[in-house]
Amino acid sequence: MKRGTQVAAFALLLALLVVLPRFVSSYKLLTYTRFLILALMAQGWNFIGGYTGYAAFGNVAYFGIGAYTTGLLMIGKWHVPFFPALAAGALLSALVAILLGLPILRLKGHYFAIATLGVAEALSQVADTWDSVTDGSTGIDLPLKTEGEFFYYTALALVIGGLALTWAFSRSKLGNGCVAIREDQDAARMLGINTTFFKVIAYALSAVFAALAGGLTAYQNIHVTPGDFFRIDYTLQMIIATIIGGAGTVLGPVLGAAVYQLLSTYVWSKFLELHPTVLGLIIVLFIVFLPRGLMTVLARKRQRGERPFRMSDLLANVRAHRVT
Amino acid sequence: MGGAELGQIFVNALLLSGILALVALGFSLVWGIMNIVNLAHGAFIVLGAYITFFLHELLGVDPFLSIPIAMLALFTLGWGIQLGLINQVIRAPLLATFLLTFGLELLIVNLINYFFKADLRSVTTAYSGTGFTLGPVRVPYIRLGALAVSLVLVAGLAWYLKMTRVGRAIRATGMDLDAARLTGVKVATIYAATFAIGAGMAGAAGSLLSMIVPFDPTLGGTYTQRAFAICVLGGLGNVANVVIGAAIFAFVDVFVGARLPSLSRAVTFGILVLLLILRPQGIAGKTV
Amino acid sequence: MKRTALLALPALALVLGTFPALAEDTISFGAAVSLTGKTAKEGEYTRDGYNFAVETVNAQGGIVLGGKKYKIAVKYYDDESKSESTAQLIEKLINEDKVTFILGPYGSAPSGTAAPICEKYKIPMIEANGSAESIFSKGYKYTFAVLSPAKLYLKGLIDLVMSKDKSVRTVAVLGENEPFSKEVAGGAADYARERGLNVVYQELYPSGTQDVSALLTEIKGKNPDIVLGAGHLQDSLLIVKQAKDLGVSPKAMGFSVGPSSPEFRANLKSNADYIFGSTQWTEALKYNGGDPWKTPKGYAVAFRAKNPKYGDIPYQVAESSAAVIAFCRAIENAGTLDPAKVRDAIAALDIMTFYGQIKFDSRGINTFKPMAIEQLQPDGHKYTVFPSSVAEKDALYPMPAWDKRK
Repeated sequence: MKRGTQVAAFALLLALLVVLPRFVSSYKLLTYTRFLILALMAQGWNFIGGYTGYAAFGNVAYFGIGAYTTGLLMIGKWHVPFFPALAAGALLSALVAILLGLPILRLKGHYFAIATLGVAEALSQVADTWDSVTDGSTGIDLPLKTEGEFFYYTALALVIGGLALTWAFSRSKLGNGCVAIREDQDAARMLGINTTFFKVIAYALSAVFAALAGGLTAYQNIHVTPGDFFRIDYTLQMIIATIIGGAGTVLGPVLGAAVYQLLSTYVWSKFLELHPTVLGLIIVLFIVFLPRGLMTVLARKRQRGERPFRMSDLLANVRAHRVT
Repeated sequence: MGGAELGQIFVNALLLSGILALVALGFSLVWGIMNIVNLAHGAFIVLGAYITFFLHELLGVDPFLSIPIAMLALFTLGWGIQLGLINQVIRAPLLATFLLTFGLELLIVNLINYFFKADLRSVTTAYSGTGFTLGPVRVPYIRLGALAVSLVLVAGLAWYLKMTRVGRAIRATGMDLDAARLTGVKVATIYAATFAIGAGMAGAAGSLLSMIVPFDPTLGGTYTQRAFAICVLGGLGNVANVVIGAAIFAFVDVFVGARLPSLSRAVTFGILVLLLILRPQGIAGKTV
Repeated sequence: MKRTALLALPALALVLGTFPALAEDTISFGAAVSLTGKTAKEGEYTRDGYNFAVETVNAQGGIVLGGKKYKIAVKYYDDESKSESTAQLIEKLINEDKVTFILGPYGSAPSGTAAPICEKYKIPMIEANGSAESIFSKGYKYTFAVLSPAKLYLKGLIDLVMSKDKSVRTVAVLGENEPFSKEVAGGAADYARERGLNVVYQELYPSGTQDVSALLTEIKGKNPDIVLGAGHLQDSLLIVKQAKDLGVSPKAMGFSVGPSSPEFRANLKSNADYIFGSTQWTEALKYNGGDPWKTPKGYAVAFRAKNPKYGDIPYQVAESSAAVIAFCRAIENAGTLDPAKVRDAIAALDIMTFYGQIKFDSRGINTFKPMAIEQLQPDGHKYTVFPSSVAEKDALYPMPAWDKRK
């Protein structure tokens, strides 16, 4: 696709998204907002998991921190308005991510993944038990807001911002440094890249996005409990969305979120009882056949001599990863 | 805390460590030899529990006697899953296998939920709840039996890995893949066998658990997390390490559970994270 | 439309049959109930209770409004025992399925999630299975509960034991860390202290715990006279099983939820003997109301005729039917389907029914109906043992130690 056509297509899509609320029911709008929030989370995870190659398995912790910070500030004695409260949540998450990231990002592979998981679980229980601050398992209720369009446009704006940020990131020294870390951390270090600094920034970015998503969801759902907001499901959703779309790409997370939301809504309304089963099946199929996500299928970068993507490439990819 | 209470905690922990050792052993075998963190381990445990439950409920088979059947079933399933699925991505990046096993767990557990519902099951036999008393401390027979079975299986596996040809091939493959292949080892088969053994052990653990706790399809999740913690604690080197790790974990778990029940998971995970930061190779083992 | 596809789902097929295709003279209710998942059994009771009341009301001609007769129907969704799904489903019911009123989910956690949604859209909700007062402390005007508040659940048991045994001194309370059980446990401990007892143990365990042996070990060390458990069916089964394992034998053991379900006895068999359970309602109670069934006995007989697989009727069934009755009365009193007016009519309700008095305090919860206590006894049956004015049998006390039975 030529550059010009690409931009035009993108602009058209954007225009459609902007006028969408006028054409759909308020319940459908909710589904679209959900997709945008998921895209936001996926974009964040993409920084640490996609570009830097560190499989963070506990980003729901920041989702929860964002939700509770936004909520508590709004209903607390200062009655902070939504947007400042949301920003505060993002800031706090970034700080926590930096503090935790410094020791944890030294760990490799599985250890890092489980450490992040452990942090999320621990935080969940703390929120559950810290009655004096969070009201424990009873939860808190944010002020009511009925206009669905508010949430939709806020989410849309954030996602567009996220796209811009990811694009800038991928072209920057920071972004390239992270990719270098993913490919060969020791070589990167020897080339003079401050791996700790880069990793922590990527991790903090992922925390910020998760917190924004959390704060928005909290305001939308009104009722916030640790049980609902610290669920591993959220981590999984953002990871799956990114994988489906293509980790380490700009559009991947958003594309993946759209596909995931589509599947989820379809499966949910038709096969309610089998919903998680089908999700599991989808994960399995994608991992085996399309581990690089849909972007590999769609972004047909035809350089000179390179042939277009074919089904047989899928199987060749699978065969390459087997042991005989 | 009174002596009687300490004594009971000690006994509880001791009996728990048997099952935890069993759960962790299968997990650590797959991790150590194949470098796969099998998040579907929990699903295998649950399957074992259901097999024992239904054999008892429908055919009246004593739960202890159903253990070999559950193990065989899970062994076969594990073999199939490894050859059919895991093997396809075994050389892909870490995240791929992590997510694949996660997807499998989701798939299997929810299929179980779909077919058998989330109703609580427990295997209640005539001897459930019976036990003997040692002073102020009570030792339930079933938990003691579970400990005995666990020890037999653990020792059996240790013997198998050391003494038999296949066992040694498994260890060799884990140590140096290429060297093993050069000596004629069929790696794909060995991997399948390893994974199958891991699944079989999980199945046995599930069978034992079905007698001790009321369970539903979500039984396995926490045990996978514990298995991971134990492997980190004990290190991945050999059977003895895992057993030590299981014992330590059991004691911490029971003690924290008694003192701070509402924060038990937070404390356990907090300790795990600290341990990972300070000494990732575990208390006893070598670095992975 | 997608509606036809939904009707094909096996789990919901039975239930969706009550929802007519062309809703002209039908008042539509919506309910997101846990038909699968952790509280599936209790969710089933809730749905059966709703359905039975709907059928009965329709059989008697339905609701009369402005000289016209209206049938009532309920549209169900399964929230899989996940409170975050409840919110989404209530939104769906209100915005997509366009139901007029909402019948509550099973459980305090989902009810807490549903209440703000109903408040947002100003749709009245009457729930029958969420007794946590935290739901009613946020100032919501559109949510009402026909059942008695959580903190009263175990109060009767304390009264009962103390009336039988003047030497009782110590109590141990353990509860699940979730909105409802927290209040039950807190309320029980506070009441015990009020009555001069020493609460030697009071702890909350994480939701979904599958092993309470560590807590029970600690409790055993304190040797309490009474052990009170506040959780759901799952937890009560776990605690009894492991209490037996560890030899924890207090003089009385009771649970807020569990013993009143048939599953309790089915799962534990003879280990369920002597255990007490709180209940919002039993058929032994003596009420006489203005609803189709009038008395608890009348309700029980009629319900069993339509649902023969039930023996003893769990209270969740009865209170769910009561919610439907409350709605019908309020709608008739209001004389209109306008949600705001119906809401006011509900708030002003004060009726006596087969379920007891239904009247809502200023927050929206029914503080006017007492709780009762049941006990499972060695003859295999379950009896109402408190309050004494309606007791079917005397409570068996104390509970024989585990190893001294059979």
